[in-house]
Amino acid sequence: MKLRADTGESTWIAVHLPLIELEAFIPCWQHGLRSSAIVVLKQNRVIAMSHTAMVAGVRVGMRRGGVQMLLSDVDFFTQDNTRETAALSAIALALLRYTPQVSFAEEASILLDIGASIRLFGGLPSLRRLVRSTVKSLGYSPTIGCAPTAKTAWLFARNAARIGRLGQSCLRTTHISAATDRLSVDLLIAAASSHDLLQGLACHSLADLKALPRAGLQRRCGKSLLAELDLAYSSRSTPQIWIVAAPEFCARIELPDRSDSTETLFTYSRSLLSQLLGWLHAHQFAVKQLRLELQHERGRQAVAPSVLDIDLAVASWQESNLLPLLKEKISLLRLPGPVISLVLKAPETVTRALASDSLFPETVTNPADHQHLLGLLVARLGAAQVLRPCSQEDHRPEFANQWISVMEPSVSTHSKESSVTPLTILRPRWLLAQAIVLEVRRHKPYLDSELTLISPAERIEAGWWTDQTQVRDYFVAVSADHIRYWIYRERSSHRNNAAPAWFLHGIFG
Amino acid sequence: MTQLHLPADRTHEQHRLENRYPGIWRASQLAHDMAATIHTGYIALNQELPNAGWPLGQLIEILIAQFGTAELNLLMPALKRLDHRPVALLAPPHIPFASAYQQDAAEAVSLLWIAGTKHSDHLWSAEQILKNGSCGALLLWQKQIKTEVLRRLHLLAQKSQTLFFVIRPMQAAQSPSPAVLRIALTPKASGMQINILKRRGASNEAPLFLYTNDHPYLSSRVIEPLRQSVPDSPLGLSRQDQQKQTSIF
Repeated sequence: MKLRADTGESTWIAVHLPLIELEAFIPCWQHGLRSSAIVVLKQNRVIAMSHTAMVAGVRVGMRRGGVQMLLSDVDFFTQDNTRETAALSAIALALLRYTPQVSFAEEASILLDIGASIRLFGGLPSLRRLVRSTVKSLGYSPTIGCAPTAKTAWLFARNAARIGRLGQSCLRTTHISAATDRLSVDLLIAAASSHDLLQGLACHSLADLKALPRAGLQRRCGKSLLAELDLAYSSRSTPQIWIVAAPEFCARIELPDRSDSTETLFTYSRSLLSQLLGWLHAHQFAVKQLRLELQHERGRQAVAPSVLDIDLAVASWQESNLLPLLKEKISLLRLPGPVISLVLKAPETVTRALASDSLFPETVTNPADHQHLLGLLVARLGAAQVLRPCSQEDHRPEFANQWISVMEPSVSTHSKESSVTPLTILRPRWLLAQAIVLEVRRHKPYLDSELTLISPAERIEAGWWTDQTQVRDYFVAVSADHIRYWIYRERSSHRNNAAPAWFLHGIFG
Repeated sequence: MTQLHLPADRTHEQHRLENRYPGIWRASQLAHDMAATIHTGYIALNQELPNAGWPLGQLIEILIAQFGTAELNLLMPALKRLDHRPVALLAPPHIPFASAYQQDAAEAVSLLWIAGTKHSDHLWSAEQILKNGSCGALLLWQKQIKTEVLRRLHLLAQKSQTLFFVIRPMQAAQSPSPAVLRIALTPKASGMQINILKRRGASNEAPLFLYTNDHPYLSSRVIEPLRQSVPDSPLGLSRQDQQKQTSIF
């Protein structure tokens, strides 16, 4: 952890998670889908509940028995501090994508100094949208505050949660003091102990609190309340302890229910991928190989986790490349049983190779893009279905025309250059996988119509050193409908087998 | 035909106007706009296509009775002009013979053969290739393809600069299609015959004959037109086309 003093003008985004107690157990995208209500208890009292439970009348502070009277179908969870801390760390890691300056704050909040990132991500509204969607992809619903200082941004984010809005922002220094005035006193942490006293004084907003005599306030409520109040109105931010990403990446997520549907698994692995992207940005790494472990429920015997290894043709750090690849790989997965948790690791990473962009838009696309396309096609279709030519120096057409998987490393370039056939040798554009035996009518090969030979013979005699000896005369033949075929006559070595055998082997066109 | 009887100065005036205002379009003419095209390699064909070439980033349909008999003869000159960008052959009818595409090192076409067996995989691959945009051209062979699917591919193609052909059987001419250009192709003795079924601008019912001189063997019976062909085009015009060319204005 590094301590760095804040310098100069800056813009802060505060991300507050009002529902973290609940969402640490059930991610936000599951809330609408579940039939049962969710209630989180702390010391046998309700501290958080899902929307279904709220509609049924469950309120903060109720006991377990009271909830059970209101709702028959309800899942209880006990508040878990370790889960919440892990959730905050995961979100902070994912948010490292947008700025290296990320720190934790009180009351389940994360602060981001994004002054230097605004232009890169296309302005503040777009950056705010990106931050929101990243946090949502991890399964948490955030409220977002934007302000020139960390404390004000934090107050705005919490105020938005309090009044049920998605966010609040104020960046103009002339308006910021008025906006802070309207905030409730309860948002200050130090005011919690003297809540009743302040209520009794009719001190509701920060403006009211500021109007009170400082000496008396310090005597009654302590020094910390004044310090926090000053901080809220200050134009400077306190130094923050920035988060440093771990040297190794390993993210784990537990599924609330056992699941074997690929869509659910994809949604959860996407949240792991968000963390990976943040981690890659923090280290300026690109990932070469991904490993997704799917852990199964332990029955009588321990079941080994299914491991999904994703090898990338070109190291990547972009969501647009990694996400479709992950989706295709997961959809092809065959699972031995339901999955209870997912672990994502990045076993192989490389330092990012940064290319400088040119001033003018390039018409020729990046070769790395093509590699990503090939990787994606191979992920779905299989390596044997996506091929590139690898011509061999052989006279026999079947052996000369070899195709290999695009994933195989290319052979040395000199063999490629020498393999270019001279123009004088005529080859058809299509070769049949299996040569077709042609009928012979009136001593001519016949395929739907009589074939007329229009070229001299090209004799191919090769392969005598193997079992696949070919002794053939190749001709170009034209059918009645003007299609040009590449046919050959098998030259039998046996004298007694006199009838010429004709085969169709290729088509020009 | 009425234009032929116009006085010479009036025709000249028209030309002058058209040069001065490139936006003027007559209903009797082909459509022309700023869309990017690629030279087809056939001067006679270019004259019949809007913007004088295959449009980039548009769906083009080639209808042919038997797959693999003439379509690459038609498309190869254009594929050679893609600056060595890869050409994706998606679900081709037979095995492509790689050396036939790379006969000239300077004009070699780098191929990508995507086989696959399922129709849905083919469509998915086409979608990914168009989205990615790193391939210079995409050739998709499909016997059965729904109009909705074609429309979707057409929309995707419009976001890219990929030369995109769908090769379909001749029967598909009866069904509607979102393609901007539909061409029926028939192999002929020394080349191929083209019927433009659909294009932007005035339609032309008359078939167009393209002469290919790809190899002396294959045109051994018609050596004469080879010698007569226009020297500036590697793939000369047939006599019919030359007559046609003179009849315009």
